[in-house]
Amino acid sequence: MKVIHYRSMWYIISGTIVGASIIALLVFGLRLGIDFTGGSLLEVRYPQGIAIPQAADIKATLEKEGIPSPVVQLTDQNGALIRTKDLTEEEHQKTVDALKTAISGQGEEKIAVEVEELRFESIGPVIGKELRQKAGYAMALVLVLIILYIAWSFRKVSKPVASWKYGVIAVVALIHDVGITFGVFAVLGKVMGIEVDLAFIAAALTVLGYSVNDTIVVFDRIRENLARQGSGHFEETVEESIVQTFVRSINTSFTTLLTLLALFFFGGESIKWFMLALLVGIGVGTYSSIFIASPLLVSWERFIHKRA
Amino acid sequence: MADAKKMLSKRRIKLTFVGVFVLTVLAVLTAIPKGPNWFGKETKIHLGLDLQGGAHLVYQADISNIPSGDRESAVEGTRDVIERRVNALGVSEPLVQTNKSDKNYRLIVELPGVTDVNEAIKQIGQTPVLEFKTYTTTPAETALTSDQEKQRDEFNTAQQDRAKVALDKVKKDPTSFEDQANQLSEDPGNTDSEGKKRGGDLGWAKKGAYVPEFEKALFETLKDGEVAQYLIQTQFGWHIIQRIESRKDDTGEEEVHGRHILFKQWEQPQQQNVEWNNTELSGKQLKRSAVQFDPNTGQPTIALTFNDDGAKLFEKITEENVGKQVAIFLDGLIISAPTVQQKITGGQAVITGTFTVAEAKEVSQSLNAGALPVPIQLVSQQSVGPTLGKASLEKSFVAALIGFLLVLVFMVGFYRFPGFLSVITLGVYGMVVISIFKLMPVTLTLSGIAGFVLSIGMAVDANVLIFERIKEELYRGQTLRASVDEGFRRAWSAIRDGNISTLITAFVLMTFGTSMIKGFAITLTIGVLVSMFSAITVSRVLLLLLSSLKIFQAPRWWGISKKQTDISI
Repeated sequence: MKVIHYRSMWYIISGTIVGASIIALLVFGLRLGIDFTGGSLLEVRYPQGIAIPQAADIKATLEKEGIPSPVVQLTDQNGALIRTKDLTEEEHQKTVDALKTAISGQGEEKIAVEVEELRFESIGPVIGKELRQKAGYAMALVLVLIILYIAWSFRKVSKPVASWKYGVIAVVALIHDVGITFGVFAVLGKVMGIEVDLAFIAAALTVLGYSVNDTIVVFDRIRENLARQGSGHFEETVEESIVQTFVRSINTSFTTLLTLLALFFFGGESIKWFMLALLVGIGVGTYSSIFIASPLLVSWERFIHKRA
Repeated sequence: MADAKKMLSKRRIKLTFVGVFVLTVLAVLTAIPKGPNWFGKETKIHLGLDLQGGAHLVYQADISNIPSGDRESAVEGTRDVIERRVNALGVSEPLVQTNKSDKNYRLIVELPGVTDVNEAIKQIGQTPVLEFKTYTTTPAETALTSDQEKQRDEFNTAQQDRAKVALDKVKKDPTSFEDQANQLSEDPGNTDSEGKKRGGDLGWAKKGAYVPEFEKALFETLKDGEVAQYLIQTQFGWHIIQRIESRKDDTGEEEVHGRHILFKQWEQPQQQNVEWNNTELSGKQLKRSAVQFDPNTGQPTIALTFNDDGAKLFEKITEENVGKQVAIFLDGLIISAPTVQQKITGGQAVITGTFTVAEAKEVSQSLNAGALPVPIQLVSQQSVGPTLGKASLEKSFVAALIGFLLVLVFMVGFYRFPGFLSVITLGVYGMVVISIFKLMPVTLTLSGIAGFVLSIGMAVDANVLIFERIKEELYRGQTLRASVDEGFRRAWSAIRDGNISTLITAFVLMTFGTSMIKGFAITLTIGVLVSMFSAITVSRVLLLLLSSLKIFQAPRWWGISKKQTDISI
């Protein structure tokens, strides 16, 4: 294996994907869910054996009741997802009642049907704004704490690369991982209408932690090998460390991805996208810990060497 | 054996093994569905709202009227009241928390398994704010409009004309005085409490009883039996006055018996600013209330009993307001404003009003449940129906099981014997984590299960790190025992650093007030901590113990082929 040798290739691959992600984020943006924008989400299910009304019909029914611009989406489980501005409890009841009475049959033959309310969420705009802020602070806080921790953890290794540079590179790697995860969701938001909610933020933060975890394992090995072999052949030492930790990195990510895949496919609709965010982030994180973080260490060392 | 000191002695390995074994048995006993009854109640997993159905409500407390020093306690008080109301709903294990973010005070209400969220919201939001108020009035002094002036002049002229007509009649025939008075007099005092007319009779009076103009006419100008020949104008209007008779009382002071007919002058429509002032007495000092029936009217009334503070305040308020009204406000509406007859001690009060029995009962009950010290507003609501919750629970359980099995197959396939041991370790790990969930207790949400499953992946990670290291040491030609020791020693720094970074993330996530994120962070934290423990004790003791047995020392048990290297075991 010649991971370090081909590093330009990894840089180009990653650069392209990260670039595409940034463009996707700039052009499409993330589709923010009601957690951040405020609004209401109502999921209902129609009883078996009844012709479910069209999304447009439901929309018309609700608009007649004075519910402003509802967005209706039929689900594959005999139901409908209805998004609106944040509803008061009265408006919520009115909506549910309207759904119950307006269905089934034409004209005079309309029958009230037991539409089951699966879930209802209503989030005031103030709360949405607060959560947006909090999510931002949390991201920043995690970043700072992790850099501090790595700098402290690697404080004894300062040759030939200063310990804080491990921290900086670990952060570059995690920005890479989280950036791509965000990019994927910007595209998913555009193409499939997937919204970014609080769960996504939790996933992104977990990816932060996991990405650093992966990177640290490789760095830890470099740290150990440097201590044993000295810093004479930095490039070779890094390459050796990558090889030594390669199987471990792949295997641990693989086991984690196995459990995440199980949750993605069998865990139900409500955590599906949460799981996908983790899958993307952790997958990319494993790649970056091997092919980006360690090569960057070498590149940085050579850059300094050349100038000296 | 240079590393001899670092190696654990056989005795310690055995002791640790016994310890791990006991822990495992305890954990399994705790984790199995029908947990034992060790702590006085059955230990069971607490399911979150998203798994069993229920509602999560967030209220904003309006503290704008509360002095800043009292806000915390007012919000806490509100929390207690909501808790009482929620308990009355019959929801099992409700949760009411306060939460302060920036300057906003919030109340988070979680109602697991609640079937009628709408009703619950109504019950919680009901604000029987009970207030006692006293009033001050200030007559509104407004200048007359030109319209009003015109109106006044016209009215007064007409009244004077009517009065003159009446005066002429009385002058002609003094005996008609009584009839005229009963027909025309606008003195409200001309009608007694039983509705009988007095014929303008004013009864006996001494000087000082009437306004000066009236007194002058009655006491000075007129003689007994005389009717005034002209209209007497006072601040009330125009009077026709007759002095009927006079006498001296015991002290020799003159008393006059007179009668009059009043024609009122125009009055500016009374505009009085009634200002109801808050007293310190409110629903807070209420001890209990009960429905009673007025013995005279049979009307339902609401009896209030105050606590000691309330009794003192009530005494003070009634003392200061004898002869004045004290109003009882419920939810900002005045329901009763009795006039205080005398100071009331003992802390008892009765609200009379036009209640039906049912209304009185409802008011009394909600007063007993307690009035909310501060108004609240529902700002966020999440509710999950029981069907969806059950489906989510089943699905996530199946998914977790599948995930676990996949990991198991992979680990045994790739790492053979150590892989098998790590599966046992994972089993112990899972049992310990579930026991902790039950004992803490951790409320398990969907995201919490995701956090748990993710931590399984991380627990495996620790094992993989160790096994890879052991393999390396074996390839290097170390003895099995030395390899195991070395593998653990060298893998530890990576396990520690990696897990600490995950813990940092989890701690930051916990500062989110949102239960979804919190659930994930808590299970992830517990999972990571337990995985560190299980990797360095459970895996280690199993490996050390079993690797000392002859039959497990063949290289193929360890996932390496003999051809690759010479292994001296």
